[in-house]
Amino acid sequence: MLRRTALAAASLLAAGALLLTACTGSATPSPSATSEPDPDASAVIRLVLEPSNLDIRQTAGAALDQILVDNVYQGLVARTPDQEIVPSLASDWTISDDGLTYTFTLQEGVTFHDGQELTPEDVVWSLETRKDTAEWSDSARLANVESITADGQEITLTLTEPDSSLLWNLTGRAGLILKQDDTVDYQTAANGTGPFVLTDWVQGDSITFARNEDYWGEKAQVAEVVFDYIPTDQAAVNAALAGEVDVLTGFDANLKDQVEANGDFTVELGKSTDKGTLAFNQASGPLADKRVRQAIRQAIDHDAIVEALASGQTQYGPIPELDPGYEDLSDVAPFDPEAAKTLLADAGVEDLTLTLTIPNFYSTTIPQILVSNLADVGITLEVDSVDFSTWLENVYTKKDYDLSFVLHTEARDFENWANPDYYFTYDNPEVQDLYAQSLAATDPDEAAELLKQAARIVSEDAGADWLYNGASVVAVGTGISGIPTTNVNERLNLAELTKSDG
Amino acid sequence: MIRYTLTRLALLLLGLLVASVLIFLTLRVLPGDVAQLIAGVNSTPEQVEALRQRLGLDQPLTAQYLEWISGVFRGDLGNSLLTGSSVADELAQKIRVTVPLGVMALTIAILFSVPLGVLSAMRRSRSTGTVMSVGAQTLAAVPVVWAGMMLVVVFAVWLGWLPAQGFPRTGWADPWAAFRSLLLPALTIGIVEGAMLMRFVRSATLQAVGQDYVRTAAAKGLTRDTALIRHGLPVVGLSVITVLGLQIAGIIVGAVVIEQLFALPGIGRMLVQDVSRRDLPKVQGELLVLTGFVLIVGFVVDLVHRLLDPRQREAS
Repeated sequence: MLRRTALAAASLLAAGALLLTACTGSATPSPSATSEPDPDASAVIRLVLEPSNLDIRQTAGAALDQILVDNVYQGLVARTPDQEIVPSLASDWTISDDGLTYTFTLQEGVTFHDGQELTPEDVVWSLETRKDTAEWSDSARLANVESITADGQEITLTLTEPDSSLLWNLTGRAGLILKQDDTVDYQTAANGTGPFVLTDWVQGDSITFARNEDYWGEKAQVAEVVFDYIPTDQAAVNAALAGEVDVLTGFDANLKDQVEANGDFTVELGKSTDKGTLAFNQASGPLADKRVRQAIRQAIDHDAIVEALASGQTQYGPIPELDPGYEDLSDVAPFDPEAAKTLLADAGVEDLTLTLTIPNFYSTTIPQILVSNLADVGITLEVDSVDFSTWLENVYTKKDYDLSFVLHTEARDFENWANPDYYFTYDNPEVQDLYAQSLAATDPDEAAELLKQAARIVSEDAGADWLYNGASVVAVGTGISGIPTTNVNERLNLAELTKSDG
Repeated sequence: MIRYTLTRLALLLLGLLVASVLIFLTLRVLPGDVAQLIAGVNSTPEQVEALRQRLGLDQPLTAQYLEWISGVFRGDLGNSLLTGSSVADELAQKIRVTVPLGVMALTIAILFSVPLGVLSAMRRSRSTGTVMSVGAQTLAAVPVVWAGMMLVVVFAVWLGWLPAQGFPRTGWADPWAAFRSLLLPALTIGIVEGAMLMRFVRSATLQAVGQDYVRTAAAKGLTRDTALIRHGLPVVGLSVITVLGLQIAGIIVGAVVIEQLFALPGIGRMLVQDVSRRDLPKVQGELLVLTGFVLIVGFVVDLVHRLLDPRQREAS
């Protein structure tokens, strides 16, 4: 029933889409943005997923990182959209040769949004509290940190053992600097050091940022940013065509022509670390047999998936191109239905029926292709479309599933393949060992090389299938520049955003 | 009449109580919990368990229900598990969008369905009547989502007269802007619901035409149309009131879909979000208020019906 409803909705959408494209064909050439950026401008950005609350300390979810990190909250170090680690609240840093001591120089003259000055004590307190409070997100990422001390503006982190992922982790939640014993209501408000101040949250509608006039660095170039949460793609495209938003993120790339139709928007496709992951429950049952998993991988036409999505690229291993340790692993599981049938026959599997559990906010494109691809090699796939809470309970917590599809957006999350308790149910001591070695490596190239080896093993084991490496689909209005177009589902740094009337 | 009202009122309260138990229990059947959602996909089972305890989700069901319902009797609908904000405050906030939307939709529905319904009944033997009747059938069958999208394409995208989505961030501080942003969604629900209402008005009118008292009036020298308008329509009006009660429930259901489509921050959209996030105290409060609203509408419709219809009063 669910599938039928979804199909009906999809065909209606398609009908509407056809009408739209038919009638907005009179495209005018887009005027080149020559006019000056307007410092008093208010830019409206369409986002898909609204955070459930604003507590960056302990509420999980990319929806929070996407808007709050970099813009409102900052750490000692930050990362660029291209995943490069850059200074933020620390002007520079040094790492000792043995990889055990990290020394950061804290910027002077930094203030929180409430006007109070950022002190070295705030930094020490933030990192220590994060490390010691299990309920806070990513606290385990500081597990190797033994002590955090401040001497003047010098902050020193001492480690029990080398941790090649530490600096990266400090660019994320684990490294955010909060005011010591702040009284702000973190669930509905924020107090950070970033270039934007959170001014308003209309739940179920929008979040508004204003420029931080007392910002320690280069000030933001727009007076206001409004994040407009529009759940359906078609409503978002309508809003764009009616001139109500300046930037659209996270929509179906198949709507490109519609958005660009009247010349006011240009669609840009950027790389991302989004991994469309088809997890196999390999703890028991037919999927415990590697041949069956490998057969499923080779039965899937990955190029067709990328083509149907009109964005992204294929990915045949656990590490996407933007992350260290990437390698083209297409040779491990090439599309070959005949080979798949042979593998299934070898495994003695006949008339296999599997269930795919998929959160209902993903488009029906993926399940449709999977059902047809697997049917070609004799596997019947039943699709169970559930809401995300149900997915969390049944798949993530109880590991009660055959196949599951989820888009994992986090960068550098290979750790899940080294964790046999994760819902992937992938357990290979060799991979766990390689990952541990990679963490302990003091040379980044060596760390990446070890990850690369581990990733190849995961792929060769058919630990999962990676249906595609997603793209960031961003439609940018003519007067807008400086909007990031890489990995925007994870981070949306707006420090350089400008808007002009042109 | 007083006895009738009191009995009816007691039934209303009983209905609410039963509804509260049903709402509470059916929500508990749903898999998934808010603690897991807060902790996310990179959390440990211990983290989730600690959160569950803090949120009181580890308490027995009866304890949870009693705490909730006793709060309701004190006028406290509880707090959101996710944001800690008061459910009553949130509802009050969202009602400012949903109630005006419903009123506008209902007004639009009545404004075109009643005159057109009567007219199409009186012209039933002519082609205009047939066209109207077929038109209403078609409109009533149109899915709300599709109707909304077509209206957006015409009035927002082509003509640029009305906003395509959203509600002013400042709410009703700018009444004109707020009104404009509700117009397309209200039209969408109004047209679809109105088409259904029109079919009802038409058939009720047709029935009245065949009634003895209309025929008698016509025999006494009134034209057929005048006889119908003077003597038939009051009876039609009565049955329309009953249907309107049901229609209001339909409008609330329509609002859930429409608020999603037009990205309006109303009760419907809040409800969908809260269910998917398993923010159960909030969902309970929202559903109880909505159920209460529908039950009260039914209560009022019954009373009005009884007051206006002498036949029913005599019967009691």
